[in-house]
Amino acid sequence: MEMFTVYLPVAGMHFNVLVLLLIGFTVGVCGGFFGIGGAWIVTPALNIFGFAMPYAIGTDLAHMGGKSIVSTMRHRKFGNVDLRLGVSMIVGTTVGMELGARVVMALERAGLAESYIRVMYIVFLLLIGSYVLTDYLRHTRRRRYQEVETGVHAEPEPLAKRLQHFRIPPMVHFPASGITCSLWLPVLVGLTTGVVAAVLGVGGGFIRMPALIYLIGCPTAVAVGTDLFEVMITGAYGAFTYGVKGRVDLVAAMWMLLGASVGAQLGTVAVKYVTGYSIRLLFAITIFIACASVLLKQLELQLASSIMILTAGGVISAVIISWLIGGVRRERSLRRERGRLNL
Amino acid sequence: MITASGRRWRARAGRLTAACFVWACAAGTAMAAPGKPASKLVNVADTRDMGPGLNRWMADIYNDNLWWYGILVVVVMSSMGLVLGLFTDRLVGLLGINLGRISHHE
Repeated sequence: MEMFTVYLPVAGMHFNVLVLLLIGFTVGVCGGFFGIGGAWIVTPALNIFGFAMPYAIGTDLAHMGGKSIVSTMRHRKFGNVDLRLGVSMIVGTTVGMELGARVVMALERAGLAESYIRVMYIVFLLLIGSYVLTDYLRHTRRRRYQEVETGVHAEPEPLAKRLQHFRIPPMVHFPASGITCSLWLPVLVGLTTGVVAAVLGVGGGFIRMPALIYLIGCPTAVAVGTDLFEVMITGAYGAFTYGVKGRVDLVAAMWMLLGASVGAQLGTVAVKYVTGYSIRLLFAITIFIACASVLLKQLELQLASSIMILTAGGVISAVIISWLIGGVRRERSLRRERGRLNL
Repeated sequence: MITASGRRWRARAGRLTAACFVWACAAGTAMAAPGKPASKLVNVADTRDMGPGLNRWMADIYNDNLWWYGILVVVVMSSMGLVLGLFTDRLVGLLGINLGRISHHE
């Protein structure tokens, strides 16, 4: 195994390249599929293998920017990136993250405890996960009803549609998402998610993705693609700020990006073969796992938390890859059948 | 069959979830804290045992000027992302998958 070991001069340690490739691949699959950065996997993974926490965060952010470019390029070709929406949200997100950072600085001066952030994090993850899961169950029940009856059901209007009804100028049409709403809606959603992300100390992908679906009204695949576009920008910004602070090990980030680029491509292509609600279900499960890991950290069970995250990351990636393989097989057999019929 | 009262309860649940979202944002802003400040880490890459090469060059930039290092991180990651994106795109194309635009189905 000596031949796979590289020296990481900034982190000041020797590290196995295969581990970096594997971490990158796993987070690439999850990131491309859910439209998230995946800091919740990478940071504890690097930390458990000996990276100091600041270097783990910085190195993760650096590779996240590059990985998101790979996924965004593929999602764009699929028609899943709403550039206009992404750019509108960036303004709010940037201001929100700056505001959030200032709030954190003020609270730091006040000397509030770290556990408060974790409690908030747990509450937030539980809320998002429960909402997405409830929505999935509601959707499944509705579909079952529709199979039994033929009548039209008056479902309560989704929150996104209600928000779209606020016609405060300027009104903007977002073609890839197929929605028209006030420009203030994505700006405010970006601002809110930016503040929350900065206060919780996360990239914000897992907040923005459901926000794009439930508050703005994007189709799931477009929410994934557009969120990745945002992650790309915030990742690049994060890479720069952490780089300037000397907290990025570029060698480690490059190896991780190598693995992540393959994973991201596969994760992104897998989106093609699943329904939006399948993405939402797996996303809700992922959120609950992330929540459980933070809970374990809160209970001072750091090692158990990291092991759980690593295992969960591997299992979720395996599920996504299996969906991809199933989809490719179905597509090929369908093509063969069509070819036979044409003969 | 969903009754009128059921619909009302669902609407209430929706409003409650939205209220929880707003509460969580507000409470998060009010209550969250950054925790203990990280102990000071020394920004020096140990290059004593390193031979000449790409790693050494990057480590030297890190030691010389962190601003240049920050720019280098962004440039390297962006260009690697672009090149790898194009390369893996071709690779996946070789698998015989239709990579055209997809229709969104929920």
